[in-house]
Parts: sequence; structure tokens; C-alpha cells
Amino acid sequence: MENVEKKLREEAKGLLAEKKVDVVVGYEKGTLPLTATPCFITTPEEADRLVWNPFCVLNLAKFVHDLLDQHHEAQKRVKPEARRKKVVGVVARGCTSRSLVIQLQEKQYGKDEIVILGVPCGGYLDGKKLAALAGGEEVREGALSEGKIVVKTVSGERQAALKDLLADNCLVCHFNQPVIADIQTGEVAPVAEAEKEYDPVTAFENLPPEARWAYFEKEMAKCIRCTACRNVCPSCYCRICFAEQSQPRWVDIGADASDTQLFQLMRMYHMVGRCVDCGSCTAVCPMGVDLRKFLKKLDKDAFEMFGHRAGVSLEEPAPLGAYRETDGEEFIFEPKAGG
Amino acid sequence: MEKRLIKKETLAGIVGELAGKMRVCAPMKAEDQVLFRILEAGEKPLVDFANTKNAPKNFLFPRTETLLKFTRTGKGMVRAGEPEEGEKTLLFGVRPCDARSFTLLDMLFDQEKYKDPYYIDKRAKTTIVAIACVHPPYTTCFCTSVGGSPVDSVGVDLLLTDLGNEYLAEFLTPKGEELLAAFGGSPAGAEAEKAKEGIAARAAGEIASHIPAHEIKPILDTHFEDPFWNTLHQKCLACGTCTYLCPTCHCFDISDEVKRDDGIRIRNWDSCMFPMFTKETSGHNPRSSQKERWRQRVMHKFRYYPDNFNAIACVGCGRCVMACPVNLDIRKIVTDIAKI
Repeated sequence: MENVEKKLREEAKGLLAEKKVDVVVGYEKGTLPLTATPCFITTPEEADRLVWNPFCVLNLAKFVHDLLDQHHEAQKRVKPEARRKKVVGVVARGCTSRSLVIQLQEKQYGKDEIVILGVPCGGYLDGKKLAALAGGEEVREGALSEGKIVVKTVSGERQAALKDLLADNCLVCHFNQPVIADIQTGEVAPVAEAEKEYDPVTAFENLPPEARWAYFEKEMAKCIRCTACRNVCPSCYCRICFAEQSQPRWVDIGADASDTQLFQLMRMYHMVGRCVDCGSCTAVCPMGVDLRKFLKKLDKDAFEMFGHRAGVSLEEPAPLGAYRETDGEEFIFEPKAGG
Repeated sequence: MEKRLIKKETLAGIVGELAGKMRVCAPMKAEDQVLFRILEAGEKPLVDFANTKNAPKNFLFPRTETLLKFTRTGKGMVRAGEPEEGEKTLLFGVRPCDARSFTLLDMLFDQEKYKDPYYIDKRAKTTIVAIACVHPPYTTCFCTSVGGSPVDSVGVDLLLTDLGNEYLAEFLTPKGEELLAAFGGSPAGAEAEKAKEGIAARAAGEIASHIPAHEIKPILDTHFEDPFWNTLHQKCLACGTCTYLCPTCHCFDISDEVKRDDGIRIRNWDSCMFPMFTKETSGHNPRSSQKERWRQRVMHKFRYYPDNFNAIACVGCGRCVMACPVNLDIRKIVTDIAKI
């Protein structure tokens, strides 16, 4: 990983020095142990702040979209002859690159407006698993060396293998390399146990409907409607979200359980064939809502019914955004139990 | 003021018993988190915990509360009843920082010029039982930088300090003294007092985070327009995690919910981080980007609140530091502002 980080800094420095990009969106060291946080590098000198390690969690495509969207809006107020292009460089792992593909497919910006700094990825550290390792105590210090995470808490030192602390989505990831990249910074990382990808969903599907609904209700009851899940999602970029529309008002803002359930249900249904399982929504949730369970079910449906994996190729549109004569229709006429 | 010694192992039971007699809100384990919730009769609260994920403000300033009810008649909408009155409540297991947050909320909701009857009613009926931080629970705690301390009794009716085998119980207010019979215990002497003083000094010394919270006021006064604000917000997701978990954030929005002929007017938490927060009916938004929203959040806590109430609107609990999904750390922000 050190080599990738070194190469990443060099490439970013070069892009900025040659003015090929206006900004590089990447990760820098966070203020808490074992964390990295998104950063925006605009000068070659700052490029040494960039890091690449298993603490880099969030999908940065969200920021790429927002930067370019804001720029496009701002340019509308400028005379056509004075308009300028903004180019955003982005540090992209597999899932981030897939989100970039989705945004490109959905014509949010042009390929010439981004430079993809591809990084190999072996997965990121899961906050909940780390908290469990620390026994619910605060992680006061932490270190990663030779595949081992060592944390210090008030009651002592604990350690675990990094692979046991990786996020669930990383453990079943098919995309340890970016699907598209302008610059590659490293070797292929080991492939995870991708064949087990849908096992937990299948197990969940096999539960009786009451049990599934009870789980949904239990998880949604934790939600405080901070909207971190929606705001971090690279596929959730509506200028005005349905949750904030007032004519008509789809979802009320109070704490009524049905409003929270509806907000999450509608958001998730907008993700069919557009969710790359980056895990960002689950990672940012302050209340620990298991959003992934439901999103993964929709992802499984998109895969099984349409053979589609979100954002894998620029040529293949999302199933609900395209029509094919071979599209299945059994789910309308012969819905399966649990389907 | 009455001071008693209470055997450590009896505390959870005492509170559990009270839960059968009145509404008791206390920290409880909820899967892998610790959250405040209402106890069932006899249910014992956690007494050994760091701090809760959520702030206890929900019990005085609920996420959603009904202000009034109305119904449609032949003559138009008419009022159809008042909201339910607050219940007598015991808020147990509050940390000193969170107890202090109530005195900051009082400044706003219970001031000379404006009185908020909904908050005042709940506040009057709530007794705050705090557990002092013998050791600061987190390295992100910075209460001593914003005017508090790990054993602070501001805003507390009954303060419990762990002396080892016993709790020193200080019944600080008439509301606290109402709990004398329930808590029992034996009279505390000068020795307990001295032990507490030692704990107070040591605990304050153990606070690991220090920020120049008071120093930045004059800088904020003169730096409304500063390049600093241009980049601060860049990674912010515009979610409400910081404001919803914050014990002192108190902005709200009012809306009507109508089902057929009956409606309620509800007050809900809002967040200055949300783009919709200041959006006007015309479509114009005076805080048009996250830059203005972040400046507002910092200014509100460290400049406007000191201007209006002579107090910083932050108690240093560190919840926002730990929960921010993008690690926008208020400690770093304040430290950076001090360098402007």
C-alpha cells in the first residue's frame, strides 16, 4: 500500500503541476485513530497529504458529482465565451469507479471533466467491527502493521487480523480494481470471496414475511432522518429529493415511523441497478441502521432478473433505464414468494 | 444541601424501583450502542457507561412534538384540543456536560423576552440526576475548554460521584431533595467531600482535548468574510448527524399534518446543515451553499450565543467529533480559526 500511496502522490502532484486537473479528490489522515477523511487537493505541494490505506472508507464519486454540478450551475451565469471547463481528479477504487461510470452513463458530466486515479483495493475497515474489537470502549490509539490491527482502549490492548475487521461488502467484492481508470497506481489486490455475495440475502429471503417485515421495522426505528445515507450516496444526486418536495408532500418530517419507513423504502427503490454496494450509506449512519441488507436484495434482483451489475461498463445501461425485448416479466405474472 | 453516601451496588435498583412510580429516562444498551430511553417498571439502567450516543435533549425538546390540534368544521378549521401536558420525569445518568446543556437551552427557551411554554413545562417537571465523570469517558471530551468540568454540577439536581465503593450523592436543589427518601443512604462526612475534590482535580487533568474556544470570539467578530470559510465545508455531506446528536443544537421547524378532517401542528428538529433550512418560498436561499451553512453553525455556537447570552453554545461532549461521517472535527475547526 505504501507504494500505491507514493505513486498516488506523484501522479496527483504531476496532474496539478501540469494543470491537467483543478482539484484532486482523495483521502487524508483523519483526526481520530484509524481514520481517513475526504480531502480536496488543489496545489502540487499539498499532494503529500494524500493517503491510501484500509481506513479510506467513503465513496468519493459523490464529491466529484457535487463539484462538477456546482461548477456547471455557476457557469450558467457566465457569458458563453468566458465559460471554462473544470477538471476533477479522483482517487478511485473499484466501487468508486463504478459510481463514476453510473454518473457518466446518466450524463452528469463528460469523461473529459474527470481524471481517474485508480487504486487497487483490498477492502476497508468496518467501524462496527472495530468498535466490537474495542469492546464498545473508545479506540484511543490504533495501528495497522503486517495485516494486524492493534487498538488501545482504556482497559488495555486488543488486536485482530485486518481481514476479520473488513466491511461485509468488501469481503464479497468482485472489483478489487477500478473498472475504468486514467492512471493506475498499483497491482491487483487479492480477490475477496465474491461467490458468497448474495448468501446473506438468500438467507433473509427464506425468512417468513413477518420476520422480514419485523426486521425492517426494527432497523428503521433506529433512523433519526439525518439523511447522511442519502447525502453520501453517489447515485443519490437529485437536486430536490422527493423527501423534501412539498407539492405534493410525499413524506412528512415528523418522527412517525411510517414516514421514516417510506423515506428509506423510496430511496432504496431508486437504487435498483444503481447501487454499487460501496457500503458508504451503512458506514456513515450514526445509528447503525442495516441499510445494506435491503439494498443488497435489490441488487440481487437486478442481477438475477437482468444479469446486471451496476456501473460495470459504460456500454451497459441500468436495467430500469433501458428496454430490451428479452427483459424478464415473470416477476409481474408469476411473482415468487420472497421475490 | 444534603449529602449522602449510597452503596454502589444499590444504585441501579433504586432507579429501577422509581421507574415503577414515575417516568424515568436513562441510558440503556440498544444492540451495540448506549441510548437514553424510558425505563419499564423495575428495569435497571446502566450505571457504568461512557456516554450515550444521543443527547438527552429529546426529553425536553422532542424530535417531534405536538403544539396544537385542529379539526375541520362547517365554519373552517377550529382548535380541537391542546397537546398533552408533560409528565413528571426523572432523567437519570446524564453526564455533567449534558446537564450543563440544559442551562444553555434555558437561556433560549426561557428568557425574559420569549418564553417557550412547551419546553418550560417539561423542564419544570424534569429532575436531572447526573453521574460525574470520575475519568473523562473519551479522549475527544473537551468540556474544560468551554466552561464545564468532568464533575460539574451546573444544571444538576442530584449529582452522583463514584468514590470507589460508594457514590457521593449531592442533593443540590429542592427537586433533587425530593429524591432523598428514594435514594436513602447514610450521611456523608468531610472525608467524602475531600475524596471528591481529589477526583475533580484529577479528572479535569485527564481531559485530553483542549481547544481555544474563548479566544476565537474576537476573530469571528471580524472575519465573517474570510477565505477560511471557502474550504472548511468542502467534505461536509450536509447531513444532520452533528446537529441531531448535539445536546445544545435547538433549531426547529413547524409543520401541519392533516389526515382527512383532523390535523396536528408539530414542531420538529431541524438542522442548519440542511440546504432546506433557510430556503424561502420564492425559491431563494440566503445561505446558498454549505459554506454559509457551516459559517452559521460555527458563528452560532461561538459568536452569536456569547453575544446574546454570554455563553458558548457547546458543552464539549465530543459527540459530533466521534459521529461525523467525514471527520469534520470541531476541535480542529476552532483551533484553525484561532490561527487566522
